Amino acid sequence: MPHADLLPVAIGNYIGLSLVIFCIGIAGVLLRRNPLIMLMSIELMWNAANLLFLAFSRAWLNNAGHIFAFLVITVAAAEAAIGLAIVVIVFRNAQNVDVDEVALLKG
Amino acid sequence: MVLTLILLPIIAGGLLFLLPASDRKFSRTVGCIVAAITFLLPAFAPAGGAFTARWLSRPFTAAFHFDWSGISLWLVLLLALCTFCAILATNSRESRTMIALLLLLEGTMMGVFCARDLLAFALFWDLMLIPPFFALVGWGGHRETAWRYLIYNFSGGLTLLLATAAFGIIFGSTDVIGGPAHSLIGGWAGWIFAGFAFAFAVKTPLFPLHTWMPATYADTPPAMVSVVSAVQSKAGLYGFLVIGLPFLNASMMEYKWVFIALSLASLLYGAFAALTQPDAKRVVAYSSLSHLGLIVLALFSGSHVAYEGALIYIVAHGLFSAALFLILGYIEEREGTRSLKRLGGLGAWNPKLAGAFTIAALAALGLPGLAGFAGELVILAGVLRNGLFWPAMIALVPIVLASAYMLRLLQDIINGPPAQDLPERRDLTLVEGLAVAPLLLALVLLGIDPHSLTASIATFIGGLR
Amino acid sequence: MTHQMGVTGSYPLILAIWLLPLAGAVIAWAFGPQLKRQAGMVGSAAIGLAFLATLASWGAAMQNAGGHLGAQQPLGSWLPGFDFGLLLDPLSLIWALIITGVGFLIHVYSIGYMWTDKAIARFFAYLNFFVFAMLTLVLSDNFAGLLVGWGLVGLASYFLIGFWFFKPTAVAAARKAFVINVVGDVGIMFGIFLIFWKIGSLSFGDVFANVHALDPWLFWTCLFLFIGAAAKSAQLPLHTWLADAMEGPTPVSALIHAATMVTAGVYLVARCAPLWSASHDAQTLVGTVGCLTALAGAILGVAQWDIKRILAYSTMSQIGYMIMGVGVTAYSAGVAHFFTHAFFKACLFLGSGIIIHELHDEQDIRLMGGMQKRTPVAFYAMGASVLAISGFPFFSGFFSKDQVIYGALEHGYTWMWAVGLLTAGITAYYMFRLFFVTFFGTYRGELPPESVGVPRQLHDTQQEPHGSNEHAPSWLMAAPVAILGVFAVGAGWIMMGTGSPWARFFANSFPHETLPAPSVSELVTSIIAVAMFLIGALIAYTRYGSSTALANAPARLKSETEKLPAILVNLYYFNELIGLLFVKPAIAIGQFFSRTIDPHLIDGAVRELVIASRAVGTFGRSLQTGLLRGYALIVVFGAAAFAVYYALEGAAR
Repeated sequence: MPHADLLPVAIGNYIGLSLVIFCIGIAGVLLRRNPLIMLMSIELMWNAANLLFLAFSRAWLNNAGHIFAFLVITVAAAEAAIGLAIVVIVFRNAQNVDVDEVALLKG
Repeated sequence: MVLTLILLPIIAGGLLFLLPASDRKFSRTVGCIVAAITFLLPAFAPAGGAFTARWLSRPFTAAFHFDWSGISLWLVLLLALCTFCAILATNSRESRTMIALLLLLEGTMMGVFCARDLLAFALFWDLMLIPPFFALVGWGGHRETAWRYLIYNFSGGLTLLLATAAFGIIFGSTDVIGGPAHSLIGGWAGWIFAGFAFAFAVKTPLFPLHTWMPATYADTPPAMVSVVSAVQSKAGLYGFLVIGLPFLNASMMEYKWVFIALSLASLLYGAFAALTQPDAKRVVAYSSLSHLGLIVLALFSGSHVAYEGALIYIVAHGLFSAALFLILGYIEEREGTRSLKRLGGLGAWNPKLAGAFTIAALAALGLPGLAGFAGELVILAGVLRNGLFWPAMIALVPIVLASAYMLRLLQDIINGPPAQDLPERRDLTLVEGLAVAPLLLALVLLGIDPHSLTASIATFIGGLR
Repeated sequence: MTHQMGVTGSYPLILAIWLLPLAGAVIAWAFGPQLKRQAGMVGSAAIGLAFLATLASWGAAMQNAGGHLGAQQPLGSWLPGFDFGLLLDPLSLIWALIITGVGFLIHVYSIGYMWTDKAIARFFAYLNFFVFAMLTLVLSDNFAGLLVGWGLVGLASYFLIGFWFFKPTAVAAARKAFVINVVGDVGIMFGIFLIFWKIGSLSFGDVFANVHALDPWLFWTCLFLFIGAAAKSAQLPLHTWLADAMEGPTPVSALIHAATMVTAGVYLVARCAPLWSASHDAQTLVGTVGCLTALAGAILGVAQWDIKRILAYSTMSQIGYMIMGVGVTAYSAGVAHFFTHAFFKACLFLGSGIIIHELHDEQDIRLMGGMQKRTPVAFYAMGASVLAISGFPFFSGFFSKDQVIYGALEHGYTWMWAVGLLTAGITAYYMFRLFFVTFFGTYRGELPPESVGVPRQLHDTQQEPHGSNEHAPSWLMAAPVAILGVFAVGAGWIMMGTGSPWARFFANSFPHETLPAPSVSELVTSIIAVAMFLIGALIAYTRYGSSTALANAPARLKSETEKLPAILVNLYYFNELIGLLFVKPAIAIGQFFSRTIDPHLIDGAVRELVIASRAVGTFGRSLQTGLLRGYALIVVFGAAAFAVYYALEGAAR
């Protein structure tokens, strides 16, 4: 049973906020062509997920959510580091950071 | 003991690569000694020295289990003899590499013929395909042929592995070769049989899976092809004999008409195609298709007499096809061509070569008194005795054709007016003669007394039922 | 159940008979370069010793213990069910005597004939090997050994026909002979399989004791065995190789293609007498084939000009008689004709060899003539042999041929009797034709070949190649011919009358045979045969031997060459027919297989597989745009699809 009384705000609000942030992230990835912005959008999606983890963790009184949130933060940091490194290399080679212009993996 | 057979050639072959690439004499000496050891060991200790080490226990038990007793002995001896002769016959600028590859081939095929475990069998099956591949790529760069050889045979290796895994899961163990016979039945047996049979049929080859073979035999250098056609092609037949008959007998009998039809097709197809080939090596290649079809017919006839004949013919075909390819190699080395139209009259200045060639060709066409005839006679007697009247009748036609294409091969090369534009007129050297002499001697001896061969298969047949 | 035909379990002298020729062959082969001409002595000595050993075994071969004839020597087991052994009974004794006896004479002759050939040692190695193989054939006590011998004589024949291997015609003839004989080998093989299938043993003793176990396959067994016999003995329709086989040296033609190997078919049928006696259909078949071959061969003999080819067709015809004899179960008559034929035909071949030598390898009788003075030995010996083969009374052929022809009548084959008599007349005609054209008149060899009707290019290919003109001592060739000539005259006397030595000799060999009793019809047969001989000889005389015919011989021969019917010149078109029916289709099939089916059908199917996998790959490639945002969109749609799926599933629950 969720412990509704432990949450000052109803859980539906957390879900709604998370959904909004997640959709902003998706829109950012899909619509923007600058890889830095796209990486930031991905961060938004990660954090939407983190928000849900923490909210449900609190609601269920279960610490697994916290642990997952930490894991996500770590992975997100690693992903950002690699992503930025790739962006730098691509920029050096192509003098251009428009993702639509870079299609090295075209089959 | 048995590990010596497998590891000694592989290690020696590997070490040969450390020598300078131009080396001839030393690598040939080493190769001959190694091959001789692998021949003499089993010849003097036919009981064998089994080796077992645990490999898997789940999902089924498997072991590195090797032994050379029983039917394996004859294939091991054949392999060692053919390798010895092939190494002795090798004398060119790339001698070292060729001898190293021959030793690697011998070691891996020893693994196939000595394996008592299906998984080890499948492992060495794939390994033995690699040296001929490199020989094809390295000599004359026959890349297309090489890939064709490899892809055909590896696809067989794949089904072999799948079938082995399925066999292990159902039977609980793959450490079965040479053990008590137990015919698998049930829904999976057919699929397992199909997996094994595909691999064996590609390797033999059996019509219509043979198209990799003529090109491979024609393009592979003579020393290598003599071993490949003499012994490697027997791996499939050996598989039918020691895996098919004891463990998949029910499926073999269920699909026997399919395989009898295919073997007859191979018999006729190879014989007719051999009649018209302009390339000497292709004549022998297609004749192999025909001859090996006869053995497949024997193995699927269900007749114990025919199984005896099959073993005789396996050894006989190994001997004469090795000899034929070596001799054609000598001819090509001297005259620079294999075309039957350009060659001619070599007998006039090469009497020794002509004599050796004649014996080998006569054995191939089944001359009474030589080993090939013994095999043919016993196989066909067995097939007919089991009531397969029409297959036996049809199998007689290729015997007539064999005499036609073998004589064409022989006469177009050594008889007739000497072709004047051919470059070399030197007869066989002593070493070249020594390289084919053991094969020819064995053909004569086994023709006069095939008894020793059948004694070993009698035990095997006794175990079948 | 090893049932032996001989009485004793062991008679090692047979081994000596059998192996001496092999030893000679091995010595001549191994030490050929050192021995050179001495190889001829070694080879002849080996055969001579084998002949003496055969004579010494006479008593053993004739011994008889309760129907078990002769001596037997086991050789051990080849394979389970295949026990080898040697058997010397009256039948194999006769053959062994001819093989070693006539063989010895021909060996001696060959020393002279091959004197200048560089490969003389190789020649004797082959010749000795042939004798060994032929002895294997006739001494074997089982079908498997017989088949081994059967194959080996074919091989020896192949080697010897192709002895001059630089001549393309010789090479082609050798190949043809071998392939046709393999057809026969395969026939015998299948007959053996049937026997092995039904009886389970291949020893003659077991098989002949259980003939009825072969029912209902008895006729088929006989048929398949006879295919082998027909191929080896040049019977219709497998006869075409024999005339081409004359490409070999003349002694080879005498030994292999006249006296011994080609009679192996007669031996086979006589040996399998219990089978033939049990199958009336087989008798009719074999009798018919033999009878037709006798006639067809004789007619072809009329139209030939090459002296060896005339003799070859004559051989074919005479073997037809033998086959007819044994076919109609007049076994001892057929064997008798083999016996006399070996002498007179070997004599004819060797005599013609003397002429060929004298004329430096000329073989066309149109370019001979007047040889009476130049080769007197050949003239007298061949004259005697011509009389013998034509059936001149009290010469050897007269007795044996009469026996065969009368045998056909006695066993109820009247038409074979009639054809046999007709053939006897034709035989007399073509043999006297040969005799008159060769020996009478004046020498025509100095005339231009076209003037006697010899086409130039044909003429050049028919010669036997010899080295220098250095000649061997002439007695080496003359003595064997003379001895054979004596036997050609007298060998038939042992067949004279009832209870003749010949009849007593075979009294126990063919228990199924009813021996011909003397009757009026036998006398009538003899009278008609002599009449036919006279007619044939007279026609030949008026056409070729009379003084008017000899006066304008070249013009006559030329016009006659031009008038020969095409069907005879082309040998009934048999070669063309075989080419059309078998050789060409086989080559066409082979080319179709390797040029069409392999690269197009089978590799085509494999290629379809390759193309299909490539198409899948191409489709997959097209999805890889390399556009990051495209991938992201796909991921989003995928995630959305999952979300929708679970949402709907949750709603449905």
